[in-house]
Amino acid sequence: MADESLLSDDLLRQLVAVGHVDILVGIPTLNNATTVVDVVRAAQAGIGGYFPRARSVIFNADSGSDDGTPDLVRDATTDDTGTVTASRPLRTTQRITTPYHGLPGKGSAVRMIFAVADLLSADAIVVLDPDVISLTPEWIPALVRPVRDTTADIVAPLYPRAPADGPLVTQLVRPLVRAAYGWRLQEPLMGEFGCSRRFAGHCLERPAWGSGAIPDGVDLWMTGEALANGFRPAQTALGPRLLARARTRPGLPDVFQQVMDAVYACLEMHDSYWLTRGPAQPVPCTGTLPGAVEVGPRPDVTGMAQAFARDVVALHPVLQKILSDATLAGVTAAATAPGPLVYPDELWAATVFEFLLAYHRAVMTREHVAQTLLPLYLGRTASFLQQYGSSGPAVVQDALESLGQAFELAKPQAAAQWKKA
Amino acid sequence: MTQMVADAVRQVGVNFVDTVTMLLPRILITVSIVAVGWVIAWALKWAVRWLLIWLRFNHGCDRIGVGAVLKTADLPPADILVSLIVFWLVWVGFMLSGVDVLGFTALEGMVRSFALFVPRLLVAIVILVLGVVCANFAWRATLIAAVNARVPSPRVVSGAVRALVLILAGAMALDQIALARTIVLTAFAIAFGAVMLGLAIAFGVGGGGIARRILDHWFPEPGRAEHEEFRHL
Repeated sequence: MADESLLSDDLLRQLVAVGHVDILVGIPTLNNATTVVDVVRAAQAGIGGYFPRARSVIFNADSGSDDGTPDLVRDATTDDTGTVTASRPLRTTQRITTPYHGLPGKGSAVRMIFAVADLLSADAIVVLDPDVISLTPEWIPALVRPVRDTTADIVAPLYPRAPADGPLVTQLVRPLVRAAYGWRLQEPLMGEFGCSRRFAGHCLERPAWGSGAIPDGVDLWMTGEALANGFRPAQTALGPRLLARARTRPGLPDVFQQVMDAVYACLEMHDSYWLTRGPAQPVPCTGTLPGAVEVGPRPDVTGMAQAFARDVVALHPVLQKILSDATLAGVTAAATAPGPLVYPDELWAATVFEFLLAYHRAVMTREHVAQTLLPLYLGRTASFLQQYGSSGPAVVQDALESLGQAFELAKPQAAAQWKKA
Repeated sequence: MTQMVADAVRQVGVNFVDTVTMLLPRILITVSIVAVGWVIAWALKWAVRWLLIWLRFNHGCDRIGVGAVLKTADLPPADILVSLIVFWLVWVGFMLSGVDVLGFTALEGMVRSFALFVPRLLVAIVILVLGVVCANFAWRATLIAAVNARVPSPRVVSGAVRALVLILAGAMALDQIALARTIVLTAFAIAFGAVMLGLAIAFGVGGGGIARRILDHWFPEPGRAEHEEFRHL
């Protein structure tokens, strides 16, 4: 049940006037004036084109934009010169925009979206990323249908990715979630997702959500909550995910820290589940699988490989506190070996798990643990791109499958040490 | 005349015997106090050691870096060191109490001075331990940040940071126990000032190019680091 203190009196009045809805599309925003109008139009067109009979609302939770984003959401129209809508919806899609208060960040916005969905008894909830400029109306039915058909409680996206695209996901988060949670989810960091009211209600009941214990990576937390609590996952093919160029985007160290904190927090919260979880199962997939992404020339990662060699030597005294002797010897050998950098899958899996154990044992502050892993992650990325940077999708897919299996093989030992710690 | 000298010598002898007679019990008491003090100090040493083992004190010291410092300095492990300090503090206290019983004017007040000195010594030890912890933390934070920021010679930079913090902690500890206070403060001020001046000259005059490259890295123009050429999420 939603905590009604999340919702102001004014908002409650608006929501009561809306009544029950079938579909709620939530858009958390913060200074997205350049992109939000297209997102709203695409959502509107998706609902109108594919769910003409559905009662729906587009709900915008804004965390204090100063560029007029809420006004743009409210005033965005679907009329666009040159666009002819093939069908007209039978119902009007309500649109509500409101500021949210409390802890800044996407987590608070999504919590408010879930609270509104719970109040409106929305059968299907979709949360969109307002920064995505490649969002099409077809994304809405792709994310909604599995929930409305009651075949899934949470629907994760599937994007086509080039080999150099999203290594933090493909090299670290995806194989780790696969090994730990036992599901082959391609995009655990769900930029946009669909879910059922049952799942939203479950998340709202988690006391940690309002207390700040949920890390900034709320997407990963929701993935973990869904997988660890028996909710049915699905993934659906969407198009390429292109983001607007932000004026300011956090640097890689901050992003990496955030992701590692989220990963660790999830593993700690759900350890009673993943410590005993067996081999990974496939996640049901709907829609046409993403087509091949045009692969350009292999990115030049020579500098990254050289930096990796220097960084491993420089960080050796710190790595000694985190890695086992065998793993450290392997990493040092990989870093200092002549020729192209090769960071094997098994060694990388062992590295990641030992870093997570270091987190768990608090051998040093968590910020130091995460920042020490960063150069190793860049080395692994350089190694992967040197081998597969210009390979075709099938070869890359096989390589990533091999990486996932390496993580699964490394998990039992890590689980045993986690329990001991 | 002869009788007078003999009487004087006899009187001196009697006085000496009287003094020894009066002093002997005090010496016996002093020896007893020292012996009992040794037994108590020995018992306390083992009690403290057992308590520290039960509290996994060595493990905690290893985690904060004190264990490594002791190993480098060829000192015994932390629990043995602490128990030894307790032993010597207690026994020296008993020894000074025993010396006080002897009643030598020149030695009066030693117990009081020692009692005033012990808390300052303990505070100095705490300052040193905290200094080691802070130095290790600063070293590690600097090393990791320097590596990720592509600062040249990250180990030199982080080592220098650790050395500076340790020197500062050492100077504070020595000042606390008032050991060669003027010399320590003056030497510290001269050394610290010289290091800062040297760094300023080296960096400003000799390292202008490096400074420019570092600043360019921290405040980059368009044209980013290799790993920022593709998106990571």
